[in-house]
Amino acid sequence: MEHILLRSRDISDIRKLDVYLRNGGYEGLKKAVLEHTSDQVIQIVKDSGLRGRGGAGFSTGMKWSFIPRDYPVKYVVVNADESEPGTFKDRELMEFNPHQVIEGAMIAAYAIKARAVYIYLRGEFWDIAGDLDQCIEQAREKGLVGQNILGTDWSCECYTHLGAGAYICGEETALLNSLQGLIGQPRVRPPFPAQVGGGLYYEPTVVNNVETLANVPWIIVNGAEAYKKIGTEKSPGTKIFCVSGHVNNPGNYEFPLGITFRQLIEAAGGMRDGKKCKAILPSGASGPVVPGTDKVLDTPLTYEDVAAIDTVLGSASVIIMDEDTDMVWAALKMARFFKHESCGKCTPCREGTYWLYRVISDLYKGNATLKDIELLADVAANMQGVTICALGDFAANPILSTVKHFRAEYEAYVKAQKPATVASAAD
Amino acid sequence: MPDKVEFVTIFIDGEAYQVPKGANLVDVAKFYADNDIPVFCYHPKMSPVGMCRMCLVELGNSVDRQTNDIKYNADGKPEVMWFPKLQTACTTTVTHGMAVRTDTPKVTDARDDVIEFILTSHPLDCPICDKGGECPLQNLTMRHGAGVSRFDFDNKLHLDKHVPLGELIYLDRERCIQCARCTRFCDEVVGDPVLGFHERGRSLQIVTLSDPPFDTYFSGNTTDICPVGALTTADFRFGARPWELNEVPSLDPYGPEGANISLSTRLDRDSGGVTIIKRVMPRQNEYVNEIWISDKTRFGHHHSRAENRLSKPMVRREDGTLETVSWNEALNTIAEVLKKSAGSVGAVAGPMVSNEDLWELRQLVELTGGSKLGIWPATMTGAEAVAQVGVGTGTNFKDMGKGTTIVVVASDLEEEAPIWFLRTKQARDRGAKLMLLTARPTKLDKYAACILRHHHGETLNAVNNLIGAVLSSDGFTFEESRAEGFDTVKKAKYKGDEAGYDEAAKMITGAENVVVLVGHEGLTLAQHGDVMQSAANLLILTGHVGKPNNGLIPVWPGANTQGALDLGFSAEATADALSQSVVIVAGADPVGTDPAAKAFIASADFVIALSMFDTATTAIAKVILPRQSVPERDGTFTNGERRVQRFYTAQGLIGDTRPDWKVFSQLSNLIDPAVKVRLSAAAVMAEITKNVPRYAEMSYKNLARMEKQFPDVGGDDLYYGGTAYGNHGGLGVQWPVDAEAAGKKLTLKAVKSEKTAKRKGLVAVPVRRLYDRSPEFSASQMMHQRIPSAYAQLSRKDAEKLKVVEGDDITLVFGDGKVRVTAKVDGSTPEGVVLVPVNLTDNPVPTAPMAVEVEK
Repeated sequence: MEHILLRSRDISDIRKLDVYLRNGGYEGLKKAVLEHTSDQVIQIVKDSGLRGRGGAGFSTGMKWSFIPRDYPVKYVVVNADESEPGTFKDRELMEFNPHQVIEGAMIAAYAIKARAVYIYLRGEFWDIAGDLDQCIEQAREKGLVGQNILGTDWSCECYTHLGAGAYICGEETALLNSLQGLIGQPRVRPPFPAQVGGGLYYEPTVVNNVETLANVPWIIVNGAEAYKKIGTEKSPGTKIFCVSGHVNNPGNYEFPLGITFRQLIEAAGGMRDGKKCKAILPSGASGPVVPGTDKVLDTPLTYEDVAAIDTVLGSASVIIMDEDTDMVWAALKMARFFKHESCGKCTPCREGTYWLYRVISDLYKGNATLKDIELLADVAANMQGVTICALGDFAANPILSTVKHFRAEYEAYVKAQKPATVASAAD
Repeated sequence: MPDKVEFVTIFIDGEAYQVPKGANLVDVAKFYADNDIPVFCYHPKMSPVGMCRMCLVELGNSVDRQTNDIKYNADGKPEVMWFPKLQTACTTTVTHGMAVRTDTPKVTDARDDVIEFILTSHPLDCPICDKGGECPLQNLTMRHGAGVSRFDFDNKLHLDKHVPLGELIYLDRERCIQCARCTRFCDEVVGDPVLGFHERGRSLQIVTLSDPPFDTYFSGNTTDICPVGALTTADFRFGARPWELNEVPSLDPYGPEGANISLSTRLDRDSGGVTIIKRVMPRQNEYVNEIWISDKTRFGHHHSRAENRLSKPMVRREDGTLETVSWNEALNTIAEVLKKSAGSVGAVAGPMVSNEDLWELRQLVELTGGSKLGIWPATMTGAEAVAQVGVGTGTNFKDMGKGTTIVVVASDLEEEAPIWFLRTKQARDRGAKLMLLTARPTKLDKYAACILRHHHGETLNAVNNLIGAVLSSDGFTFEESRAEGFDTVKKAKYKGDEAGYDEAAKMITGAENVVVLVGHEGLTLAQHGDVMQSAANLLILTGHVGKPNNGLIPVWPGANTQGALDLGFSAEATADALSQSVVIVAGADPVGTDPAAKAFIASADFVIALSMFDTATTAIAKVILPRQSVPERDGTFTNGERRVQRFYTAQGLIGDTRPDWKVFSQLSNLIDPAVKVRLSAAAVMAEITKNVPRYAEMSYKNLARMEKQFPDVGGDDLYYGGTAYGNHGGLGVQWPVDAEAAGKKLTLKAVKSEKTAKRKGLVAVPVRRLYDRSPEFSASQMMHQRIPSAYAQLSRKDAEKLKVVEGDDITLVFGDGKVRVTAKVDGSTPEGVVLVPVNLTDNPVPTAPMAVEVEK
């Protein structure tokens, strides 16, 4: 299968502008700008059924259509803050197929008539940001970014911006705050970013994930119908699956949506050392963990099917855990992550992540009673659905799902005062 | 609430309420349904952030999308579509048909959970916490707390408990619940973004970002709105427990805004068992100061029990020595002198002298046949302009927003009237336009839509030219019925074509409401009178008079300057008053604050000084009578918006003092036994109501009247006001101006523009700073670090010419006077001008602009 997104695997050096251009690069932007109106572009993307690849799976075309048409100042923000544990797809796209990301962003900018595109990268991506800056300059020389794009009267700048190292800034409103130079904390919605008062500098703004936008040039060139033929009805298109954990060949894999977990594991070289799959985190640390049962393994990876097994597809950062995995340890690691990354704005998340971490640490060290397992589950449950952004829910997920599916392991820690089997999760 | 709002129907716990559309759900539930939705981060004076999650409610909608009508079921109850998740009430504005449930188990559980979460990090040090007893967290823990902690005590974080945010405010990091009220207060309400959050998650903490730390005139307010004991003042910290305190309504003794305060008092062992002030809190008066006070008001109360207070009457003997005497002897001595004065008696009253004192002082002077009644400082005038077109009764900065233009003339509002600065800034944030007619940049510049810069001393021409531009603007018409004297304005032929004045004129004529605040920076007394008259003309010409939120507000130099003018005192009479053979000086220090006053008073044979402290004036007085501070007595002040307000006796007496009105009344009685001694301040006010028509309604009973205020902040439930206290002392009464009287024709008196003289040499322009070295304010030692040292501000060009650099010690010489100050060289100072703060230097500086020479 030819890749739509990971085209660097098919064409070496596609990161170079001339190679990209020779292989149909920026044809999508040209077609959009020269042949379509903004509204038509939005309609095509809407018709394609493209859903946001950042995790929420919201219809991209719909999101663009919320932007007020005649409002003078609008922005496109590319969410390249890829911070979810186990997610490494945007990085590969930006490193090896950067122009496709820029092209997608520029098409989005054309669709909403944005004044500027900001690519917000996590702070550790400083080298990628440097390369992207060069790519933007090359595109500018060809009239694809900047003043009078493709000779039209439409002008739009493109900038990169580095974050300062906070997971929360992947949340779109916290990202906007950070981009504005404010503390990285989410905003109360409404107003939503697409509305006046809710976006970047409080102007209407589209915030899209890198991978989402990388799909757009192909859709414009090949049409919505062609795109819909890939994947499933409700989840069309291809998706990059970041497979990590106990498989033989961890890495990024681009497949049409609808492939099963079992097929994905096989594509990734199968389970390491021929062990059994014990549990799967389909969307990094933030989605609920599911046991590696046949039912789960045969579940197609689509937004709707994964939801049916009480977890989420999210950004499809699939972490595979084999039978030797200590699930309490795994939960502890995730609890520590969220304690470290809670922004501190909402009380339940700020205090709850800290509390969960302290209790599960005690449990892991063998200083807990059976009641503490209830406490863990109760505290986690109390954090859900009561915070501004989803981090509060995310932080509760690993605890709630491991207690639900692997309660025996927690009880074993309590009853046997079981010593740690894996290297200690030190602070 | 403003009247013009549309009302909608909402359902709170099944009951229907008519509430203003678009209002905040928390406020509405409290005000209309008496339903306290608990909050920590929400505060009605600031934008909601929804961070504490305490105000979660079930929210739904009963409106039919098609018809926009509320759907009712067969029982007549609304059919509600409920949101699946709980919503924060504080981030919800009410809409038609909205339904709220605040008492379901789901809601109660969520609130219990939030309290539990907060308490996992909050220390249990209520027994030693200043907030204990009036703490929203404590109160809500009583209502929603679990009783038993599930959090392992050993897991508690221990953080710094004494983090100074500057020398006035301390942060206890353990107690902070990260509600962002203090940071939002600084950012939104004041516009001094000097506090911020640092770090994230459980490490999230408040830090100050300015130098000096927490650099704002309003820092103390953060301790009131802090919903826990995380922010405390250096003044009150560990000073008393709230339940030991008695709250006494009082007034700010310093500023013309008349800020309402509450004095928290208690019997104090350390102070010899007398009742003393432990702290000053704001008292809610939405017309005056809402719930804010400046740090000067909050921390400037220590003069009332300063050790150097004068406590007994003193008489100067032949040899010049002072002898402490009994009140009887002192009063008899004065009475004898007054009897022999043959009417050559003058009186000068300072800005902290109450209406009752002023009335009795006037009675005394008139009884002796005298008539010269002056005020101090004698820098501002314009009683007539105020009487015509002072702001309409019911004026409230809070109602000013879109459609209002606020004009600030010759004033650095932040320094001269911080509460008006704050409220002007907020009105501008709501959409009001701000116009400045000032001679130099001030903090208001960044909020101004229009700045008409002019030279110091040329303010009159600026106002006149603005009138000129108004007259020549499109569609300007003048109804002759409005006022007499339009021809004088036409004849004056004001210039109307200067750059920028067109736009400015449009901001006046196009506005629904116009308020003009007039200060006196760079103006002589006569010039100030002209500017006041011209500003009044502008308002009359454009019809912005006689209704709320329209008219003139003078930025008077003190708390009761307006009262003094109302009762017959004036700045014009001051020089004469000081030149009489017997001079009574009450609550003022002319000799110590103006080099010119010394010359006037030199001709007096007998000076009687009523003072709280030793001053240059008491040094030449023949009799010195100790004055009482505001907290030791009752009385009334009239603020710059002509609101007469009461203050009540709060503190035990320091020494053997009497209120001024009593002293004057007793003297009158000694001179003429037919004059009865008044028995109380209330009785004096009763006399005033009978004799001063404008004060006819100002009985103490009327002044103490209350009405329910929105938002409902100051209740005893500590709902969301932190510890800001409810108002139990009255809202005061404004006297109506001529423009409000039906059928009364106003008078336009055009003031001729001045020929602008060629500027030669340097001119010293006195400026007012909020923190100065007046004996009253400098008694608060904790403020000393914030009081600037004596300085004078020069422009870069002048400094270069004089070869002066920042930090040089220079001598300013004006006439006979000389002061030594530190030079500040600053790009904002206009050329040819030396800005000299008053009340900062040991020797007095001029109170009006004056030629100056700078010596190194």
